[in-house]
Amino acid sequence: MVKSIVFTALLFITKSFLYAQAISNDDTTKWLNEVIVTSTRTASKLANVAVPVQVISQKTIKQSGALRLKDILQEQAGLSITNGFGAGIQMQGLNPDYTLILINGEPLVGRTAGVLDINRISIGNIKKIEIVKGPSSSLYGSEAMAGVINIITEEPTKQSLETSIRVGFGNPDKGWISPVEALVDKDAFKSTDINLDGATKIKNTSIRYTGNAYYVDGVSYRPYSTLRVPQPIWRITNQVQLNTKIDEKTQFGLFVRQGYDHIKQEFSVGNNGGINNTYGRETNYDVNFNPSIVRQFNKNIKSTLRYYQTLFVGSQKLFFNEKPDSSYVDEFRQHFYRLENQTEINFQNNRLSIGGGYTIDDANSTRYDNINNRKRNTISYAFVQNEWTPSPKLTLIAGARYDHNKLFAAALSPKLAFRYNPNRKLHFKASIGRGFKAPDFRQLYLNFTNNAAGGYSVLGTIDAIKTINQLNTQGLISDLKSDFYKLNTLTPEFSTGINIGGGYILSNKLQFQFNYFLNEIKDMIDYRQVATKTNGAQIFSYINVKNAYTQGIEAEVTWNPYNKLNITSGYQYLVSEDLDDLKNISSRKVFTRNPDGTSRVMTADEYRGLPNRSKHLYNVKFFYEPTDRIFITLRVMYKSNWYVSDRDGNGLINSNDESARGYFLTNVSAGKKLGKTTTLMMGIDNLTNYKDVIYLPNLQGRMIFCSVNIKLK
Amino acid sequence: MKKMIFGFIAIVAIAFSACKGKEPVIDNGPGPRDYSVSVSGKIVTVKNLDADTILGFTALGQPFGAGKYTFFSLVNNSRVTSTDSATSNWDIAFRGSRILVNNGTSGPGNGGGFVFAEGFDGVNSVPADSTFLIDNNTNNTFAISNPSGISWYIYDGPNNLLNTTPGRTLIIKTANGKYAKLEILNYYRGGSTPSSTASNDVKAYDSRYYTFRYTYQPDGTTNF
Repeated sequence: MVKSIVFTALLFITKSFLYAQAISNDDTTKWLNEVIVTSTRTASKLANVAVPVQVISQKTIKQSGALRLKDILQEQAGLSITNGFGAGIQMQGLNPDYTLILINGEPLVGRTAGVLDINRISIGNIKKIEIVKGPSSSLYGSEAMAGVINIITEEPTKQSLETSIRVGFGNPDKGWISPVEALVDKDAFKSTDINLDGATKIKNTSIRYTGNAYYVDGVSYRPYSTLRVPQPIWRITNQVQLNTKIDEKTQFGLFVRQGYDHIKQEFSVGNNGGINNTYGRETNYDVNFNPSIVRQFNKNIKSTLRYYQTLFVGSQKLFFNEKPDSSYVDEFRQHFYRLENQTEINFQNNRLSIGGGYTIDDANSTRYDNINNRKRNTISYAFVQNEWTPSPKLTLIAGARYDHNKLFAAALSPKLAFRYNPNRKLHFKASIGRGFKAPDFRQLYLNFTNNAAGGYSVLGTIDAIKTINQLNTQGLISDLKSDFYKLNTLTPEFSTGINIGGGYILSNKLQFQFNYFLNEIKDMIDYRQVATKTNGAQIFSYINVKNAYTQGIEAEVTWNPYNKLNITSGYQYLVSEDLDDLKNISSRKVFTRNPDGTSRVMTADEYRGLPNRSKHLYNVKFFYEPTDRIFITLRVMYKSNWYVSDRDGNGLINSNDESARGYFLTNVSAGKKLGKTTTLMMGIDNLTNYKDVIYLPNLQGRMIFCSVNIKLK
Repeated sequence: MKKMIFGFIAIVAIAFSACKGKEPVIDNGPGPRDYSVSVSGKIVTVKNLDADTILGFTALGQPFGAGKYTFFSLVNNSRVTSTDSATSNWDIAFRGSRILVNNGTSGPGNGGGFVFAEGFDGVNSVPADSTFLIDNNTNNTFAISNPSGISWYIYDGPNNLLNTTPGRTLIIKTANGKYAKLEILNYYRGGSTPSSTASNDVKAYDSRYYTFRYTYQPDGTTNF
């Protein structure tokens, strides 16, 4: 650990030296006036923000041709996309479970195995995306451990009407194909995206509607195969936003969103020498309903009352050709309700935010004891935060939040942050905070037996003790493990996160930012075997056992060699280790295998930390606008190799385990505005046609696309 | 020498199959393959010993074999026919992940064993405080216990693979009451675990092939 700190420090010094060399000019700053709402839950100028933030503008999203949230997040420095249970987001080296995803400040729900599939979210017509890194539980509560991603939709300000249609196609085996070929080639995949957006204003009320329909064919990596590896997907999103001025001081807002995904499923399973052809579908459905009232009582006091309700239903239904009368159904429903008030008081150089609320979180699942038994957690919470700006140069923020949970232990999440701008060009930021993630329903209530793979069972903690004791009295348990006696009420997982960074603005032409982060996570929930049934089948349950940390540095440089060209480049270096693994390695309790299969004691330098993490993430992006009617972009992202599974049976990741190869992903696009209303665009995603059938099954091959955008007013 | 050559051929065969890289193994199917024995000094290595290999899947998707044990003599370095199961001709038997020693409910011998948390090379003698366990089929306790994670393997549930745990040595008392140390190297055909993304067919049909090495001490002492 000391070694890695020294290394990261060296790396940082070297990098800042290099950037310092490149710096040469002098000028002022416009971007510091950008308003950020996610970092403090109040409107703050970027110049006062004391935590690491990234903002993705609508222009960047449109010029990149990004359609889904995944498309644009994969191009951001320090973010990595995970595969499995949809596309998840890995921030500061933490799993997707630990990043909170918000739409207009309210959380999206419906996670599978902790992953919220970011392909569910259409970004066709949003205002911007704000990304806050580092623990933010002091404002947002559970899940905001690695950070928060807030999708902010465009507000209806004036009358407008906009529509766009985009078509894309490709064939991962042939690489280049023409549009005509794409129509007749049965191995080609096609994608279509239609977006419609309109806003109008009637007296004091403005309303905006955004609709999006997206379709992508499945892709077959094996020529002439009828089975498509990624399956055909339809996604539909409808959004309505309404704002009304009730009086001079009071605003009413309503945001309603509805999303629907349909993923076709078709695959074959070998069974008893024959083949079972299985077909069916997976659907995700979610609705968000979010009315709010904001009242500016006077110059210094503003209060917001928000109600939020969201429903998520994810289901999978499979049929078997060979057994027409049987089917497999897997369903998960989550219903989330929240009422919250937040009041902002300004006095002298202080801005005080006080808030509190009540949340009901319900879930039903076929993987719990019974789909009809609703599981409910309720949370009452309160938070307070004060932002003190004694001078324009200095901002100090202190805050804390207390969450009282019905089902598990309470959580207190304090946070301290400061920012110092010694002059207009230089700034320093530092923050320390506590993050937490509540045990999820699966960890509390799962009741799942896998008959296909040895009949093992996984039981959520709440039912595990009861169920195992019952089985025991029936004589069905052959032995209880020591971990059985550790089964108890789960506590949330806690982390302490430190972020220290700064930036230097040399001019409008060159800016540099860096951040060091360290997240120490305690009491991580992991599954352990707690008992064995008399038929030999294992029973697993969840306990708070693991301790780990992630740390790294992130650096980003923005360079405008001349006005029309914007180059940004980001890099993240990451180290992550399981503290218990480290302890076992140093006491020579961990063995590994030689190439011939024989075993020997493993050394510390063979340890590779937590799985599924790339040590290096790098990107460089060029956005070029030779005139205000033309744009050209080129974005190249690199992700170094990541370890996927333990092959030598020692339960941790070391150098002879299985890893996926690092890769470059290159996307290009170009557009031209015709007349006053029309923009034509063309682009190629995955220009190099990179494929990794085994570890990146959802990475499509090269896709060529064209779009037309018509904007009236 | 013959055995050595056989072993060499087996190694070359494995090396060639390894050279194919991460291509999924397509050739698979039920039924045993040849096993091989090679001797190098005190260490005997057995490759590809089938242990009730998979014949198919039940309607619930559970793989099944014929349910028969494979018996092996650590004294003679060879497989023992199953008709000799009730004799003291064998020292260790395998069926799936279940391992038997020749004593108790398993056989008439004077055998026993336990799993020792130490690397094979680090075991120079039978530890002084050793207790040799015997098999008791009726209450489901065996000298070589087989729950995942704490004995000689870890079952990787998400990937449906059995990985043998490095640093676990089976201390075996043979049917004739002498001692051997044994390390299980691999559980899959050809001594190489399928890729985590291989199909469940490959993972099932290629499983239950033991590759292991052992040192048998014929003089009756506890030193290896």
